[in-house]
Amino acid sequence: MSTTGFRTLADQLRSWPDERLSRLLVARPDLATPAPHDSAQLASRAATRSSLLRALDQLTRAELSVLDALVVVGHTSEAGLATVVRAAPDSVGAALARLLDLALVWEAPPGVRALTAVAEALTQGGGATAISGLRPVSEDPPAPEEVERRLDELSPAARALLEHVLESGGEATTGSARHTVLPEDAQTPAEELLARRLLIPRSGGVVVLPGEVGIALRGGRTTTEPVDEEPPLATSARAAAVVDRAAAGAAFETVRRVELLLDQWGLTPPGALRGGGLGVRDLRSTATQLHVDEPTAALLVEVAAAAGLLATAADPDGNPAWIPTDAFDQWTAQPVVDRWATLVRAWLDSPRLPGLVGSRDPAGKVWNALAPELAGVHQVESRRMALDALAELPEGEVLATGTGVPSLVSRIAWRRPRRPRTRADQVAWAVEEATALGLGALGGLATYARQLLAGDEAAGLATLAALLPQPVDHVLLQADLTAVAPGPLESQLARQLQLVADVESRGGATVYRFTPGSVRRALDTGWTAAEVHDFVAGVSRTPVPQPLTYLVDDTARTFGSIRVGHAEAFLRADDEAALTELLHHPRASTLGLRRLAPTVLISSTPLDVLLPRLRELGAAPVVEAADGTVHVARPDLLRARTPREHRVRAAKVARETAHAAHAVTAIRAGDRAESSRSLSPGKPAAVLTPSGSMAALREAAEAGETVLIGYLDNQGTRSERLVDPVRVEGGSLTAYDHRSDDVRTFAVHRITTVLPVADDP
Amino acid sequence: MNDGPLIVQSDKTLLLEVDHERAADCRKAIAPFAELERSPEHIHTYRLTPLGLWNARAAGHDAEQVVDTLLEYSRYAVPHALLVDVAETMARYGRLRLEKNPIHGLVLASNDRPVLEEVLRAKKVQGMLGARIDEDTVAVHASERGNLKQALLKLGWPAEDFAGYVDGEAHAIALDETAWHLRAYQREAAESFWHGGSGVVVLPCGAGKTLVGAAAMAQAQATTLILVTNTVSARQWKDELVRRTSLTEDEIGEYSGSVKEVRPVTIATYQVMTTKRKGVYPHLELLDARDWGLIVYDEVHLLPAPIFRMTANLQARRRLGLTATLVREDGREGDVFSLIGPKRYDAPWKDIEAQGWIAPADCVEVRVTLPSSERLVYATAEPEERYRLASCTHHKIDVVRSLVESHPGQPTLVIGQYIDQLDELALALDAPVIKGETSVKERQRLFEAFRSGEVGLLVVSKVANFSIDLPSAEVAIQVSGSFGSRQEEAQRLGRLLRPKTEGRTAHFYTIVSRDTVDAEFAQNRQRFLAEQGYAYRIVDAEDLGAEA
Repeated sequence: MSTTGFRTLADQLRSWPDERLSRLLVARPDLATPAPHDSAQLASRAATRSSLLRALDQLTRAELSVLDALVVVGHTSEAGLATVVRAAPDSVGAALARLLDLALVWEAPPGVRALTAVAEALTQGGGATAISGLRPVSEDPPAPEEVERRLDELSPAARALLEHVLESGGEATTGSARHTVLPEDAQTPAEELLARRLLIPRSGGVVVLPGEVGIALRGGRTTTEPVDEEPPLATSARAAAVVDRAAAGAAFETVRRVELLLDQWGLTPPGALRGGGLGVRDLRSTATQLHVDEPTAALLVEVAAAAGLLATAADPDGNPAWIPTDAFDQWTAQPVVDRWATLVRAWLDSPRLPGLVGSRDPAGKVWNALAPELAGVHQVESRRMALDALAELPEGEVLATGTGVPSLVSRIAWRRPRRPRTRADQVAWAVEEATALGLGALGGLATYARQLLAGDEAAGLATLAALLPQPVDHVLLQADLTAVAPGPLESQLARQLQLVADVESRGGATVYRFTPGSVRRALDTGWTAAEVHDFVAGVSRTPVPQPLTYLVDDTARTFGSIRVGHAEAFLRADDEAALTELLHHPRASTLGLRRLAPTVLISSTPLDVLLPRLRELGAAPVVEAADGTVHVARPDLLRARTPREHRVRAAKVARETAHAAHAVTAIRAGDRAESSRSLSPGKPAAVLTPSGSMAALREAAEAGETVLIGYLDNQGTRSERLVDPVRVEGGSLTAYDHRSDDVRTFAVHRITTVLPVADDP
Repeated sequence: MNDGPLIVQSDKTLLLEVDHERAADCRKAIAPFAELERSPEHIHTYRLTPLGLWNARAAGHDAEQVVDTLLEYSRYAVPHALLVDVAETMARYGRLRLEKNPIHGLVLASNDRPVLEEVLRAKKVQGMLGARIDEDTVAVHASERGNLKQALLKLGWPAEDFAGYVDGEAHAIALDETAWHLRAYQREAAESFWHGGSGVVVLPCGAGKTLVGAAAMAQAQATTLILVTNTVSARQWKDELVRRTSLTEDEIGEYSGSVKEVRPVTIATYQVMTTKRKGVYPHLELLDARDWGLIVYDEVHLLPAPIFRMTANLQARRRLGLTATLVREDGREGDVFSLIGPKRYDAPWKDIEAQGWIAPADCVEVRVTLPSSERLVYATAEPEERYRLASCTHHKIDVVRSLVESHPGQPTLVIGQYIDQLDELALALDAPVIKGETSVKERQRLFEAFRSGEVGLLVVSKVANFSIDLPSAEVAIQVSGSFGSRQEEAQRLGRLLRPKTEGRTAHFYTIVSRDTVDAEFAQNRQRFLAEQGYAYRIVDAEDLGAEA
């Protein structure tokens, strides 16, 4: 620690290098918004109660205990602190460094002191501190030896009483005890203590136990327990490869289930509740459909929504419903790992609390999935802390069953002691949800999840990709009219197959069954029998069984296949007779049909009128795209709009860093403005006429000098800006503004003063 | 990734790739706990069910073995939830035990007190239990042994029955293996049963279930009651036992509608046992007529509900169930498990066929197109009449005739549902017909003639579905069935799947009317056969001449 001291925290901040200042603003982002004018404002903001409480929330038990000791002891040195905190001197030093960095403590020779507001925040207004339960030492305290001596003189009863007072908050009422007695005259234990100034009377018959006495009672330390020992995690051994495989299985299932879920909801969307959530019954049927329990179903639904794949929109009847977004279509086209990464990123950044779904709120109302209120401000941080703690486990070790999660809870309680409310739940949820999503399994994190959390997403996804089943491009056809894909099918292929066959069983492999209905469905969307044959023969590694060929032909036999294109409003069909029939249908005369070729008709009727008319006539037309291919897209799939902007973590970090840098620049500019004032104390800032200021500004622009201008903004607020004028023209000044770190334009008539300043010191 | 032959799906089905080099090992490893659901040519589907897992548990497999097997052969990561579920399900079996206590008689015991408490609080179980003996043991009324097991299975805590069996009245029975030998799988099945105490042996039709029964009787060396589906089948059992064992005609009694003999080995039909007069079952006393040492149930999957109730009272006797399939159309597989016993032996059809014991079959569906006049009648008919109309079209007769002609000299069965149609067919083909009203004597004469080759073509109704041994049939032509029952299909195919001389292929034709409800039912059958791994073709009646 440096020996140079500062008068105030502001002085200290002013002396910090940019990098350190920037670190402070990143660690306490609330200080940087809006950008403070100068170091003095920064220092005062840092001492506001709301900002302080946020900063205190980030401290570990060790750091908090050091700060607590500093509040109890008052102004002291690092060495002095190390003697009263029950912890290794190294960890006291590290904790103190962090406290300094967070501007909770500043260097005031001959030592350090906590901000006054910190003491207030910790002592809740003058009482004992929340951490050690001690009061600040009295002013001008007796030497520790003296306190020891006084303690030694006590009768056992008085000592017991004193310890009792210490453990019950350092405050007591004395009843009838006389406050002013000499040690020799003391008759009761209380009087003994009062006489030796081990308890100090306050108004209203209250006595308090000063900090130095408490410290002495605890053997010269502020706490009886060591404060720098992190609670250990209860672990058991489990091969990393097993964890990886199990987790990868879950990851694959997650992606598959989300796709299945949204495919289903695209067809039959569940209604959105009036409050915005998802009904209990809908959740239950979803769980059944996905072969998962309800908590997992709730998690998948929440994650899908967080990833922007699901949103509310009006269903065809105009009622609000949960419908997949158009981002879902892009998502399904991606490889499995990327899809998984999208879901996991969304989950990591989501403040949602799916773990609460199904339980009741204090008012007795059941929490619904997707309900807007189902979010917690600390959720992202708690989840991240739990995952980071898991990631710290050495490879090959996982949380022990049963005892593992509670030990994780107590470790996180040690790291963030000030946020106790629902932590046990949140940590347990984080572990459960991470397991369900495939970040981990069996109580440990998978290798790829560690890489992902460490920021190396590319490596993580590559590791995961190697563990996932490889996409296959073929199926095995069997005589019982099933097709088995022995692995995940390529996305396009899977969709085509889903059209011509029904899915019977899903998992690592998929079992499809051909039925007359499914084949007809394919024909409905414009496939011809020959196309179905070709497709089936093309994807199969095995000979096409005769019953399947027969099924397709038999289904096609009864299916009329007419296609309509919308570029020229044409009708074409392989079946000439069907067209002839259509052409000569008595009710088709108004359609303006004309035969172009044996298999092609054209119509003068617009497509939107033509289509229903044709259907009325009993035809089953299908719309062709401009390039001649048939639209495989099913018109009954619903899509909602993707919610505006889904913020990616990296972008957020970059933004925060940029903002901090920006704020640092602004503070520096403010400081220099301030110091320029103090450099020329005797010379008042001249109020210039407009022409005078123009001249001064031009001069500065020529010389490339920095000037301090007084400026009235649109609201009439006066501010001082440190600027480097570039040019003056058209009644406005173009100048580089130190505060905003940008070239700005100022209206000259609003400039009240121009004051040259010395160059950067 | 692990290059295994097995894919474990999250819906608890297991897909086994048949052509994989480790497929045979894998099949052996999973057979004890997974039930084979479908076995088409490339990928076989097994299913994990609680009953299957409990069957495995009863056979001495533990959850760890099951999980290890799945992990070892699985190609992809096994869903974690499934593994947990397997372990939990298997752990449920045997938490409760039925034991014989020297002082209190039959008791229900458990080391897991919470489970015992849970069970004791169940209303259904309360009436069957007596006094609490100590914290882990409760007395059980001896008469409720079966009912209790049934109830516990429903609660999800199947009990293991260690209470033992009465030896029964001793009677010397030995296999007479002079001209033949017990096949390896038959011996294995009988031994598995004997070690398990009671239980079910699953073997396909024609694989010699009767001999497994005989082998079990030889093990028991005690008086035996055999329950079979009908009289003809009873006679066949009797003949077979006389031929294959040391038993003589006089030692074997028949207890049916016409004859009521009680001998050391008695064969009774389900029908006579379930005959009810004035609300009571007059023949129920047969069960107590002798001190039976063994009770054999033929065709367990057809066991009628009243027999279940009677069986509940026979828990102290050894019980052997014989069947081709555990699948019951009424879904009472759980009752078979708790009352007769867990599955003790199972062999997939195809494997036995490969060993040459049953003939390979060629299954063909022939579709006839109804002429427009008949179509019109069909279209306007009442729904309940439709099936009869569709399946009895006269066009089928022509098709049957041409099929019969295409297999000259091969013993052929024509099987149908409707008597009118059968009579018509018999007339057209000039062949004898067996139907419900045909006397047992006449039936036996005709069957005998068919077996000896004297009669080459037989028209039979569904009375022939069960347990009539016609090993010489090489061609079966099915013209109508009872609404696509899978079980019926198994039976009919079973007629053909008896060992053939010279390893000839059997032919199984089904004639259906296109675009009618008949074809829809045929799809059920088709699926069943394809799932059993039989090659299946569909041809149009018009193309038949060209093909044959």
